[in-house]
Amino acid sequence: MTPLAAREVTLRFGGVIALDGVTVEVRPDELLAIIGPNGAGKTSLLNVLSGFYRPQSGRVELEGETIRSLRVDQVARRGVARTFQGTHLFAGQTVVENILVGRDIHMHTNILQAFCYFPWVAREEDEHRRSVEEIIDFLEIEAIRNERVGTLGYGLRKRVDLGRALAQEPRILLMDEPMAGMNSEEKEDLARFILDVREAHKTPVVLVEHDMGVVMDLADRIIVLDFGRVIAEGTPDEVQRNPDVIRAYLGEAQ
Amino acid sequence: MTIAQAQTLAQVLSERARLSPGAVCERHKRLGIWQEFTWEQVHDNVRALALGLQALGVARGGVVMAIGENEPEHFWTEYAAHALGAALVSLYPDQNTDEIAYLAADSGATVIVAQDQEQVDKALAVAREVSAVKAIVYWDDAGLWSYHDPLLRSFEEVQRSGREVHADDPGRYNRELAAGRAEDVAVLSYTSGTTGRPKGVVLTQRYLFDNAARIVGALDFKPGCEYLTYIAPAWATEQFFGITLGLLVPMVVNFPERPEQVLTNLRELAVEAMLFSPRQWESLASVVQARMLDAGPVRRAIYEWGIAIGREVNVGRLEGRAPSLAARLKYPFAEALVLEPLRDKLGLVRAKITLCGGSAMAPDVFRLFHAMGVHLRNAYGATEIGLLTLHQGERYDLETVGHWMQCDPRHGPPLEWRVSDEGELLVKGGSGFMGYHGKPDKTAEAQDGDWYRTGDAVSQTGGGELVFLERVKDMRRLRSGHSFPPQFIETRLRFSPFIKDLMTLGDERRDYVAALINIDMEVVGRWAEERNIGFSTFTDLSQRPEVRELIRGEIARINAFLPEHARVLRFANFPKELDPDEGELTRSRKLRREFLEERYAPLIGGLYAREDEVTITVPVTYQDGRKGTLTSKVLITEVNHAAAMPPPRQQLAAAEGAR
Repeated sequence: MTPLAAREVTLRFGGVIALDGVTVEVRPDELLAIIGPNGAGKTSLLNVLSGFYRPQSGRVELEGETIRSLRVDQVARRGVARTFQGTHLFAGQTVVENILVGRDIHMHTNILQAFCYFPWVAREEDEHRRSVEEIIDFLEIEAIRNERVGTLGYGLRKRVDLGRALAQEPRILLMDEPMAGMNSEEKEDLARFILDVREAHKTPVVLVEHDMGVVMDLADRIIVLDFGRVIAEGTPDEVQRNPDVIRAYLGEAQ
Repeated sequence: MTIAQAQTLAQVLSERARLSPGAVCERHKRLGIWQEFTWEQVHDNVRALALGLQALGVARGGVVMAIGENEPEHFWTEYAAHALGAALVSLYPDQNTDEIAYLAADSGATVIVAQDQEQVDKALAVAREVSAVKAIVYWDDAGLWSYHDPLLRSFEEVQRSGREVHADDPGRYNRELAAGRAEDVAVLSYTSGTTGRPKGVVLTQRYLFDNAARIVGALDFKPGCEYLTYIAPAWATEQFFGITLGLLVPMVVNFPERPEQVLTNLRELAVEAMLFSPRQWESLASVVQARMLDAGPVRRAIYEWGIAIGREVNVGRLEGRAPSLAARLKYPFAEALVLEPLRDKLGLVRAKITLCGGSAMAPDVFRLFHAMGVHLRNAYGATEIGLLTLHQGERYDLETVGHWMQCDPRHGPPLEWRVSDEGELLVKGGSGFMGYHGKPDKTAEAQDGDWYRTGDAVSQTGGGELVFLERVKDMRRLRSGHSFPPQFIETRLRFSPFIKDLMTLGDERRDYVAALINIDMEVVGRWAEERNIGFSTFTDLSQRPEVRELIRGEIARINAFLPEHARVLRFANFPKELDPDEGELTRSRKLRREFLEERYAPLIGGLYAREDEVTITVPVTYQDGRKGTLTSKVLITEVNHAAAMPPPRQQLAAAEGAR
């Protein structure tokens, strides 16, 4: 079954057509990259896939089920996790606390129970704490687990952001320009972790990315958007040779 | 069988598991929590692994190779090899494929036990080259999810097959154990290869027991004490401590979460026994110094006041000077305000046995730790013949490496020593030198009759303590006929927080001593930032006039302690960090001098041709393995541009004393 798909999706902001009849299918266990020039609609597509924007027409299907009527948090509960352009973390909290936030959707205790701290609440807390530690181990950030996120470098913050998304135990991971603003060493690090996510958890990853080097190295399949339309789709090699793509990026030859 | 009768470490382990199965003996921080292993658990793991390795063809007389950080699995692999009568070759985790391939071929290893993806990648490359390698076992599967090489097996898989064997034939492991003898080769410990290819020193079970007994005879180990394992088991010293004393004392061996975490972990544990190499102690000392550089004036003043009192009382006692009454009265306050909190910060608050081994360390570092109330001791020895001397008791001379250790007669005759006409230390006794694996010619070279030639120039104090001067071959003579101790200069200069490494130059072709300095990017960078000195790269920073002046000041300070003919007259800063991946340093971060002299020949030429600047081109290797070259202008600085000014009287007196 297709883990996540957008079918014939059209999204308008007033007179601006951000997405124009876009159909995208994410296949199980693949790393799908969405590329395109500025304003092509990449982030809009990601927002539609995560249920953040409601398209005017078309459907988004999560494992065959349409998510049109679901709130963003309900989509998240069904296993769609995302990271953001820049980082959306709590700067004053520690790395552990930030990743714990990602566990929220798996928590069952309410405030009153937590206040009384029943034995089963303690056990649940231990379990969440343990899965956070597993993520810390996975992302090799033991050394900073108790640091405040605001004091960390950008590359590490992005890694924590990924950790928060992984804490949701997603069935699909959406990443919005994870490499933006990073130096090449940080990019290499993060690229390795993205590949590891897919390999270790068999989670399909959708990546919106500007850095062509990264995309060509990582992606199994690429979808190219331009002016809200899909203009090409295929393996990195095919996309690189596609004349429409070259035109979209470099402009029309005279 | 009792522990006293045991001939191999695996026998001791089995006996410990029988006597106190539920007692904790190993602790490893995993997933943020210190997880404990009891004797029974360790024994069970070792037995399963041993039988599993046997199924992979490891047999009596065989060789198993282990590569990875200090983690319980690394130790278990060693005990499992011993249980089968096989030897272990332990490697430093950052050794590269070429080095590992050489060691695998030289030792005849058939199984490589590797930690993680990084080590497995290297091991797979080695297995393609060295056909004797029949299996690779890994204990951390991160990144290995889609590896399908037929040689690969997970640690659990091997243990599972071992457990099945044990279920079918419960007596098998004990039969293997019972066949173990003191003469079994336990470890092939490869020398670090500062000169030529590494040689595998044969260490028998008897040798490990002998050295452990020497240490127990010299220091007061309490059974059950907490020990932090950090230095690699590839180094014979950790074989004595974590591996052997861990079982024999016994100690609780604590494994840090990751090597970068060792200082945090140290603080969490506050262990009672630990062994660091000089470099690690120095880095601990420079952590303190760097923090104090950052501290405000009030805090710094309190720190300095406390340390000064600690120095007068603690270092004074050690060196046999009675501290003044005033200092003794102030001491409890200094202890409460500065010394105890400082030890607490570093995780040394319970540390009773603290050792430094490897190469010489500047007495300044020793004094700093003693002032803090940490009784840091030096040990001296050689892999070939074992530990020889150690600072023992309450009073010892920091300039020495301590008194001779005693051999337990069960393990061999008493240690004897003499100094040859060339000033070289010769030793015999104990479990003795068993030779280099497969290299009879090298073994013969290292011996003079039944004496082992240490290659070290030593002398002895009136109190019977041994003084290590320099490697015999490293004492260097200048054209003038004067000789100078390059290590002395280097260790003392390395104590400067601004200098990470350096190489002194000067030999029979040269009239004077010069030096090449590798600045400490982190500390110098911060120093420069504080002074608004802009810089871009390491190359740029190292050649800044302010930085050269800073380093010049450091050298001039040390020069004051040296006789005139041994002073460093000119120096230059390396335009790049020295890097073990380029062969400039060994894996234990010792300089590879001959290689450096060749690589930086134009620069050295310039230093002695009295030039002011030289442009050099050196090859560099990037982290991903790509090669490139670095071309840089390197500036040369005269240390003594104020030569006309005579040194102050006090410094002259110190120079006299140093002579």
